[in-house]
Amino acid sequence: MTIPDENKIRSESKVILVKRSNPNSDPENEAILYQELHELARAAGYLSVGKLTQTRFQDTRYQLGKVKIEELAELVRSTDTEKVIFYNRLSTKQLFNISKICQCHIIDKFELIFEIFVKRAITHRSKLQLELARLKYEVSRAKAVVSLLKKDERQGFMGLGDYENSYEQDLKKRISRIENELESAEKDDESLRTFRHRKGFSVISLAGYTNAGKSTLFNAIVNESVEVKDMLFTTLVPMTRALDLGGRKALLTDTVGFIQDLPHWLVDAFKSTLNEIYLSDLILLVVDVSEKPAIILQKLSTSHDTLWDKIQGVPVITVLNKTDLLEKFELDNIMKQIEYMAPNPVFVAAKEKTGITALKAEIIRHLPAWSFSSFTLPNSEEGMSILSWLYEEGIVHKVEYGKWITVDYEARIEIINKAKAVINANEN
Amino acid sequence: MWDIIAVDISGRHRIKKNYYMVCAAAALTVSASHIEKIKQIKIQPLWIKRDPTLLDIVQLIEDTAGQLSFEGTIVAERGDIYNKPLWVPEVIFSRAFKYQESIAERRAIELVHHISLSTRNLLINKLEIET
Repeated sequence: MTIPDENKIRSESKVILVKRSNPNSDPENEAILYQELHELARAAGYLSVGKLTQTRFQDTRYQLGKVKIEELAELVRSTDTEKVIFYNRLSTKQLFNISKICQCHIIDKFELIFEIFVKRAITHRSKLQLELARLKYEVSRAKAVVSLLKKDERQGFMGLGDYENSYEQDLKKRISRIENELESAEKDDESLRTFRHRKGFSVISLAGYTNAGKSTLFNAIVNESVEVKDMLFTTLVPMTRALDLGGRKALLTDTVGFIQDLPHWLVDAFKSTLNEIYLSDLILLVVDVSEKPAIILQKLSTSHDTLWDKIQGVPVITVLNKTDLLEKFELDNIMKQIEYMAPNPVFVAAKEKTGITALKAEIIRHLPAWSFSSFTLPNSEEGMSILSWLYEEGIVHKVEYGKWITVDYEARIEIINKAKAVINANEN
Repeated sequence: MWDIIAVDISGRHRIKKNYYMVCAAAALTVSASHIEKIKQIKIQPLWIKRDPTLLDIVQLIEDTAGQLSFEGTIVAERGDIYNKPLWVPEVIFSRAFKYQESIAERRAIELVHHISLSTRNLLINKLEIET
């Protein structure tokens, strides 16, 4: 049990962080996971004033041992803390029992992540997604919570029997309403993606563990100024910008970061955000290479786990970011240990904007192949109109004006076919 | 590129008080994101009348992988080894062992999973083992 002295006097949202580890687990790994919880708490705006850890198998009633929970209650009283955050997932029963002893608000890591998402949600859509996630989470607990609350009460007039059912029914109705609303929004997204592809855009996504530097890299590539912070989950709403890659048009999307053991109800909440990644033509998997190899591997594993069965053979470029913090020999050493998890590696330092040219070259190499074709257009108003459209949709390598206009052209195969159809129709 | 042996066991549940399991092992060459070459595949059934222990599972995997003419690190799903921490299978197996991590390794496990499951279904059907 530790209490940082300098934090005792501050009164802003104080929390105590609690983590239970299984016996035989790797202590170094457990320390990393605890640090992640600490960072998440910071991202949610909390000040950690105490830490409690225990190595034991899970207690079904209290998660930790009962004596340890009493120790936690004492720590809560002495530090005047309003909230306790558990790393481990808490069952409804555990939540109820711990709250009863500690007399303060108890949440687990998943609710903490949820809180962060709620605080950062800006768009109406992301707010709806979060509301849906919260309701789905709540509906599974609704019955149990009401049952626990009314354990000592008698049935009959003003009892909780009807309330128990109506509360659950009410939640389900709200879930169904929000699902319908989100479904229509997803259809809009689908048509937007199809439209982008039809217009000749290649779609590229930035993916990676949270705080890997995706937004910094996004800014470095597109020369923008998206909000960048040394904090988990800075980006929650996908940000898309156009990119010119040697004449080819692409759209680059900055997305929400991955995190280990993210529960399904939260993954579902950001399905549409993750769809941005899954439906891309190319994925840039960003990795903070300045961390220890074991941590990099763990984060890469989480990223691969999130991506592997959804991306259907879409190429992945591993962008090893923050190389400026390492010496060449350190980088070589790390690379040897992580290469089996890093497809098509490219080294960059997004903050210093180094390695961006090499990255762009690698992106062009992996984009879906474009086809070459030559067209002959009538030198007329219609011909000029088609030529103008060709300029919009692809790369015009050569154009010669005479009685006819001859064009050497490169574009997506769909565009080439469409151009041929338009020219044929025009000739007839 | 790396040589791996992807393994998967189907049938980790009781049929008429017995366990009828099938292990599939594939010798593969993989890159970080793709299966580059499938070199050989072997299968091995096992019927036991008690709950399988970790050692039974390890033995079954070793026997199946032993039929292959190629070497490589054995890659398996965590669940197949009873979610034991990595150091447990590392010390029990006679050759290099790891849990699936990369996209290619996950695809490899998916491949052998389909092989072991369909082989088991076929055997159960042909041998008329009622479920």
